[in-house]
Order: sequence, then structure tokens, then C-alpha cells
Amino acid sequence: MTVKFMDTNKTATAGHAIDMESLGRVRNEGSITDEDITLNVDGLDLYYGDKQALFDVNMEIPRQKVTAFIGPSGCGKSTLLRCFNRMNDLVDTCRVEGAIRLDGNDIYDRSVDVATLRRRVGMVFQKPNPFPKSIYENVAYGLRIQGVNKKRVLDEVVERSLRGAALWDEVKDRLHDNALGMSGGQQQRLVIARTIAVEPEVLLLDEPASALDPISTLKIEELINELKDKYTIVIVTHNMQQAARVSDYTAFMYMGKLIEFDNTDTLFTNPTNKQTEDYITGRYG
Amino acid sequence: MKQSEVRATASAQRRWRQVKDGMTTATITGGGVGVLLSILLIFFYLLYEILPLFNSAGIESEEQYQLPVAAAPLYLAMEEQAEVGFRLAENGDAVFFNTENGQQVLKRSLPTTAAISSFALESEETRVFAVGMEDGRALLAKHDYRVSYPEDQRLITPSLRFPYGEAGMEISDAALSRLAVRDSEEALVVVAVSDGHLVGRRWTKEEDFLSEEITLVEENLALPTLDISADYLLIGPRQQWLYVLSQQGGYRLISLRSLEIVDRGEVTDGAALSDVRFLLGGISLLTADEDGSVSQWFVVRNAQQGGQYGLQFVRQFTAGGPSAMLLTEHRRKGFVSITDDGHLDIFYSTSQRRLLSEELELKNVLGMAISPRADRLLVELQGGEIRSFAVENEHPEVSWSVLWSKVWYESYPEPDYVWQSSAADNDFEPKYSFAPLAFGTLKAAFYAMLIAAPLAICGAIYTAYFMAPSLRRKVKPLIELMEALPTVILGFLAGLWLAPFIERNLPAVFSIFIALPVGILIFAWLWSRLPVSVSRRVPEGWHPLLLVPVVIGLVIACVELSAPMERAFFAGDMRAWLTNDLGISFDQRNALVVGVAMGFAVIPTIFSIAEDAIFSVPKHLSYGSLALGATPWQSLVGVVMPTASPGIFSALMIGMGRAVGETMIVLMATGNTPIMDANIFEGMRTLAANIAVEIGETEVDSSHYRVLFLAAFVLFMFTFVVNTVAETVRQRLRQRYGNL
Repeated sequence: MTVKFMDTNKTATAGHAIDMESLGRVRNEGSITDEDITLNVDGLDLYYGDKQALFDVNMEIPRQKVTAFIGPSGCGKSTLLRCFNRMNDLVDTCRVEGAIRLDGNDIYDRSVDVATLRRRVGMVFQKPNPFPKSIYENVAYGLRIQGVNKKRVLDEVVERSLRGAALWDEVKDRLHDNALGMSGGQQQRLVIARTIAVEPEVLLLDEPASALDPISTLKIEELINELKDKYTIVIVTHNMQQAARVSDYTAFMYMGKLIEFDNTDTLFTNPTNKQTEDYITGRYG
Repeated sequence: MKQSEVRATASAQRRWRQVKDGMTTATITGGGVGVLLSILLIFFYLLYEILPLFNSAGIESEEQYQLPVAAAPLYLAMEEQAEVGFRLAENGDAVFFNTENGQQVLKRSLPTTAAISSFALESEETRVFAVGMEDGRALLAKHDYRVSYPEDQRLITPSLRFPYGEAGMEISDAALSRLAVRDSEEALVVVAVSDGHLVGRRWTKEEDFLSEEITLVEENLALPTLDISADYLLIGPRQQWLYVLSQQGGYRLISLRSLEIVDRGEVTDGAALSDVRFLLGGISLLTADEDGSVSQWFVVRNAQQGGQYGLQFVRQFTAGGPSAMLLTEHRRKGFVSITDDGHLDIFYSTSQRRLLSEELELKNVLGMAISPRADRLLVELQGGEIRSFAVENEHPEVSWSVLWSKVWYESYPEPDYVWQSSAADNDFEPKYSFAPLAFGTLKAAFYAMLIAAPLAICGAIYTAYFMAPSLRRKVKPLIELMEALPTVILGFLAGLWLAPFIERNLPAVFSIFIALPVGILIFAWLWSRLPVSVSRRVPEGWHPLLLVPVVIGLVIACVELSAPMERAFFAGDMRAWLTNDLGISFDQRNALVVGVAMGFAVIPTIFSIAEDAIFSVPKHLSYGSLALGATPWQSLVGVVMPTASPGIFSALMIGMGRAVGETMIVLMATGNTPIMDANIFEGMRTLAANIAVEIGETEVDSSHYRVLFLAAFVLFMFTFVVNTVAETVRQRLRQRYGNL
């Protein structure tokens, strides 16, 4: 495994300097391959008020691959995920230091328009959250807020997105029914369709299947597999089997720290770190 | 512990739990049923008070007896208690009799100097009448009653008086074939037809200020010559109008001041008249004709014809048969018609109601009398046979058209919506139109909502969606505390402080409405232009605090600039400018004052419910929208507001319900003028305030009292309908945006 340290030269917009040498711990993150990198996390610290929730996270997320975050509850994996589209901004006391670069540009830079960022980095939440509108309007919502109102364009995008989320055949006859009448699994795929309708570059999935039954879970997993051809996917999951099944790379986090980040096969079969090994073998978590 | 003991404890526990469950169920069910029952009870109580208003009249035949009579009756009457009747015969015999058995109580003959040739009633209320004689003299008399209580028994002693002496007065040298008299504090007017001509006399009463002795100054009235036969002659109570009608229906209206014919025309289209009577008060004329219709007429000033007075047809009733005889009530604007063959109808003029229509199976009705309380009717038939009837007619004044349609009230130039429930005099026509009250209620609620709804909803949106949670925890209870402010204090402040303040500072009020929103926007823009180092000092969601000095400053500036503005643009007095230049009348207590004061009372209600609704929209919905790249504003409009719409809607409706039912503020700040005018600078009277104002001074169980209950019922139904509609809409919205 090649361990590549982050470039420590701060860009003009980086939050603060990180002295790599002063970090007295094993740094097992970094890019594993020479893959094209979409997201670059650089010395990320995150605080909720006085409490620090993420400690100096450094990682690179490859383009058009599925990257899974695993770890016990409260380890900070969802928090880290929400940093990628700055959803943590909505938490009153949250403060972020360090940098996250999307295609080389720091997303925490002051000149960044959060709305534009979130359109590029879409997110699907743990609990399906369709809007209380029709199925059609749910999918069209992302375009409508961008000012697209042409029916022809919307029809086309809605169909494409629903097909993309493997939902079209199930709902094509009731596009104008309320989305809240769908099953949980369908709702979650609708949310995915809604997210891909705005054609993001990155898709963040925050435990997308944890509220679903096994069959729906399977469908979501199949969908993830199909979607990775077009999108960079980051998925947070509690379920190690799921991580093993769907992801190309896996990051193990513990107590707000990134413990190990590697090729999924490597991480699950031959973890470098003792904590990782303990976790994946079920000794805690 | 042994197994059995454990089991015993468990079963005791179970029993105790069952008892508690049962008690809770009973309490909650009982409470719920109790609430429903009490609402139903209110409903039924209101109905119980209201329903008599819509009852029709009833009549019951009572006694039947014979009076020893020598001649046909001229006049039949009863005293207050309807115990003693009075009958005047054509031969001058005046007989008082017991109405129950016909026993004669007193008999006198009028001191006539010649045979009686005509009869005139001054009015039923004064009990004064006059007879005209063949020698051209007229004699005024009054049937009078004295009530005493010897041995605690009511004793009514009748007497016949002659207010202008027993000798009578000379009107003409020929027989008086028709006669009309009208007496008042100032003068006595007698008009008669003698030898085919109108003759009139006026005796002006001059009071000696020392001895208070009254001397009569006679004056001959030079009345115009008539081109119709004067078959009916009537003088209005203010001695202004002389009405002359012919059998064929022609009429001449003669002014007793200018002594000229003011108006002429026909009251029927060819049908012969059978009776003409004054309605109570002497303003309206009722004419019955051989076609069986009864018409009401009164004098109005016709605006189209240059303010000329003329007799105006007002409404029509259909009597039970042709050629009816009319009898008017003594204390209300009701009347009775009876045909020769005994078909009796009871009408009420204002409400245009036929309260009773009954075949009494009588023949040859010669005379009729109604008691002052309108509860007894005497009918005289051929040969002195008297039939007496008990009449039940409590509330003839109210009908649907009185309450909700335009009604042509006496002396009004045109039909109108009027609420005027009482007046100083007894012959007043009560005007019970709910239209101005309902209008006032809606107007007050409208202006209150106009001010409260935007402020409360926008405040709720900001507080729930943008404000920092720590600030929200302080702001929300504070606004909700406003709700605890007694409305009587708000009304007091509005009436005694705000109303005069607005009147004095009108330009300030207008400029505040413009300056505040504009000023706030400008301040916000300036703030966004400030360098980051300054704007960062105020944390996200604390910005409203910055506006406090801005708002206060703007208000003070507007008030300070009020006088200079008034001098510069409105010639020193904006109120006068509004009235004179724009033609907008201005009341000190007006809808603007009420809008502000009641808006203040309604804001906490709307704010609190709407804020809860917006705040309880699940966060994951707005996050979902934000995660799609929507701005907070777009998320608010696109997702949060639709989801919260059922709650916001019910907040508005509850606020509306509160504004409609609010009493104290409108009572104290509206001026309580029941007018229908949407002008924001005019007052109004609401249903609720009307009840509060008038319930204290109305006689229990009177029509007015029941009408107030009807107003309460209308208010009740109004809020009921509003709430039902609101709840239905809310349920539908909830179905659409619900189950999250």
C-alpha cells in the first residue's frame, strides 16, 4: 500500500496551517492509487461549540468510485460527509478548520456559493425525505429552483432521473400522485432521482438504506453500482457487509479520527491498523 | 417471596391499574361530552330566545255579549288593561262597558248642539276624538281612565272629558260632512269639509309666562279649493300636512304651512278606497281598497324633483278580502284589517309580515277596537253584538327582509340598511338591520387582519426559520405574553390615546407605513454592504436586534416631521385636507385605530400558531431542499411554507375568529356608529360591540332583547361557519402535505 502524504503547502484560502510532523500519530489516510481525485480533505478539524468532533482528517476521494465510511456510532463519519456539501453550516455552533477541495478549489472559501456547491455535491439522507408534493414535482424541484420551468425539459429530466434511479417503471403511471404515498424504499430512490436530476458531480449517501427493508436495501445497492459510472459516490454505512459489497474504497473512522483508508478489499482482508481489524471482526462497534 | 405472593401482588396491581384506566377514561369522556353539551346548550338557549321572533300571531275567541244600543257605532276603543271598553254611537251616546260581560259602567251623552254628521280621531294614543255636527260646530272629547286600588283591587274609573270645553267650537255655518283634528303643545288644528269646501281653523296656544294660563288664538286657514271630493281627511301629527283623499283613490297633499297643494295623484289604480288610516306616529298612511290591497304611503322629499315633497308609495299588503276596514296598533307599526265578512289579517309594516290570516266567520262588521297593548280585539256586529278576542302577537317586528335587506323606513328618502334600535319617543319605528353590524364586524376584522396578518406571518417565518435559537427562545414567549394583555386595556389605549394621537399626527401615520418598510430595506442593504469585519460581529440570526433602533428612530422621525409635513403639503391640517380636497370624511375613532389596536391583539394568536407550524416542519425537509442547491429562501417558499400551510391557514382563521368576536377594543375605539362605509377613516359598529352596548338597556323578552340574541346567534353561526370551513380546508391541506 502506498501512503501518500498530503501536500502541506497551504493554498491562499486554506483555513490554517497543519504541521504534519507535529501530529504524533499514524497517518493511514491518503490516496491509494493514482486515481483521478475529486475531493481532497486537508487537515480538517471540526468543532461543535467547544467539543471537537473531527480531528485532522486528511483523505482523497477518487472520481467515479464508491467510497464508504465505516465506523461505530458517533465516530464522525456522517459529520465528515456533511462537510462535503457544507450541510454542517446549518448547525449553529459548528466551526470548521482545514480545507476540503472539490476539483482543487476549497469549498470553504468565502467566494464559494453554498447553493452552487450543494448542487454539485448532492446528498441523500438516512431517512427518506421526499417533499410533500407529487413525484414529478419532487424530481423537478431541483431544476425549478434553478429557474428551469420549460415543461419539455422538465419532463425529459424527470424521466431520465427516475430511470436513473430505477424507479421509472414503478411510478410512470402515477407521476402526479403525492410522493408521500410511496413505500420507504421507493421514497429513498425518489430522493436519489431528485438528487441526480440536478446532475451533481458527487453523490453523498448518508446511511441511505438503514431505514429500509432488505429488498429495498438490495435495490439501493444495485442502484449505487449503476450510478458510480457517472458520479463520485461517498456512502456512510453502519453495515460492513454493505460497505464491502458496494464500495471500491473504505475509510474506517473512530472517535473523530480517520484510522485507516484503503482499497475496500485490502481494508477488509488485510487491515493495517489494529483498531480497524478489531472493528471489522466485530470486537467492538 | 413465594410464587403465590408474587401472583397476588401482581393481580392487585392489575386491578388497581384497571381502576385507574377506568377513571381516566371516564374523566376524559365526561369532559369531552361536557364540552359538546355546553356548546349545544348555548346553541339551544340562543334558539330558545330567538324563535319567538319568528312566530306568527295567534287569535282566540273569548266572550260574546250584547250591548244595548240605539244607533250604529262611530268609534270603539279600550283602555290600557283592556278591562273597560268605550263605544261612541252616531246619536252621541258614549258608553263605557266591561269588556268581559258587556256590563255598562258609565253612560253619557255628548253635549251636542245638533245631530252628529262626522267623526274624527285625533289619535289612539291621546284618546282624543272629535265630532262634527250639522250646525257647523265641532266638539272635542277624550275618553279617560283613572286607576285606583281600593282594598288592593284594581278599579278603573272611566270618564269623558272635554279638553276644549263642552260647548265645542264653530268651524262653519253648514254641516260638517268630514272632519279632521290634530292637537299638539303648540296648536290645535281642525279641518272640515262643509258644503263641499275645505274649512280650517288653527288655535295657537299662547302661554302666559306668569300665570301659565293658556289662551287660544284663533286663526282661519285659507285652504285651497279642491278638484276631488274630500272623502277622507287626515292631519299629520306635526300639523304640517293635510291629506285629502277621495273615494276613487285620488289624493291631494296640502301643506298647512304654505296652505298650498304640494302633491297630487292617485293611491289606487282605479279601485275605490274602503279605509284610510294613519299608522302609529302619523307619518305613514294606510289605504285599503276594494281590490283587497292595503298600501303604505308617506311623504318624502324627492331628490330628483328639486327637493319637492310628495306622497310616496312604500309597500303593499294583501288583505283577506276586498274593502277591508283598518285598525292600527297603538304602540307599534302594526295594523289589523278585517273584511265585512269577518276575514281578519294582522300585518306589520316595517317587516312587511302577515302575522295572521283567519276567517272569524262574522257578518256585518260595524266597528273594531284593539287594546293599547295589542292583546285584545273587540268587534262589533249588527245589533250591538260584541265579540272579544285574545290576540297573541309578541314580536311582529322582525323578518328576514328587515334583518338583511334594504327597508324603506318612515320618512327616509329611499330604502336603506339601518340599525337604530331605540329612540326617545314612543311612536318610533325600530330599525333592526343586521347589515351595517355585519358589515362593521367584517370591516373591523378586515382592517385588523390587514395589519396583523402580514406582521404576524412574516414575524413567524423569521422567528421560526431564520432567527438564532437562543434569541427565538426569548422572542417567542414575549410575543405570546402580548396575548395575555386584557383587551379592555388595549381598547382603552386605542380610544383615549391612539385615536387622538392619530388624529393629531395623520401625516406621521402615513409616512410610518411607507418609511418603515422602505427604511428597513435600505438599512438591510447598507448592512450587506458593510465590510465583513463589521458585519461578522453580529452572529447569524441576531440581526433583528439591529432593527430595533432603526424602527424606533424612524417612528420618532416621522412623528417629529408630522407637523412640518402638514404645513408643507396639507395647508397645515391634513384632516381638513382629506375632507375638503379628497372628500374623505374622517372620524377620530375609525377603522385605522381599530385595525392597529385589534391587530395588536390578534398578532400574538396568529404569530404563535403560525410560528409553531413553520418551526415544526421537519428539518430533514428543508435540509433535503438545501442539499439540492436551493437557497434558504427557496427552501422556505418551495418546501417549508407549503408544508406549514395548514398551520398558517388555521392561524389566520383563528386570528380572524378572534377579530370577529372581539368586543372590548371595538366597543371603545370604533365610535359605535352603525354605518356601512368601507372608508378606513370612518367608524363602525360590530355585532359583538352592539350586543355589549345595548343588552344592558333593553327590556327583557322584548323584541329588541331577542334581536340582540339573534345577533349573538349570527355571531355564533359566523364563527361556526368560519371555523368549519377553516377546519375543512386545513384537513385537506394536511392530507396533501401531511403524514411526514
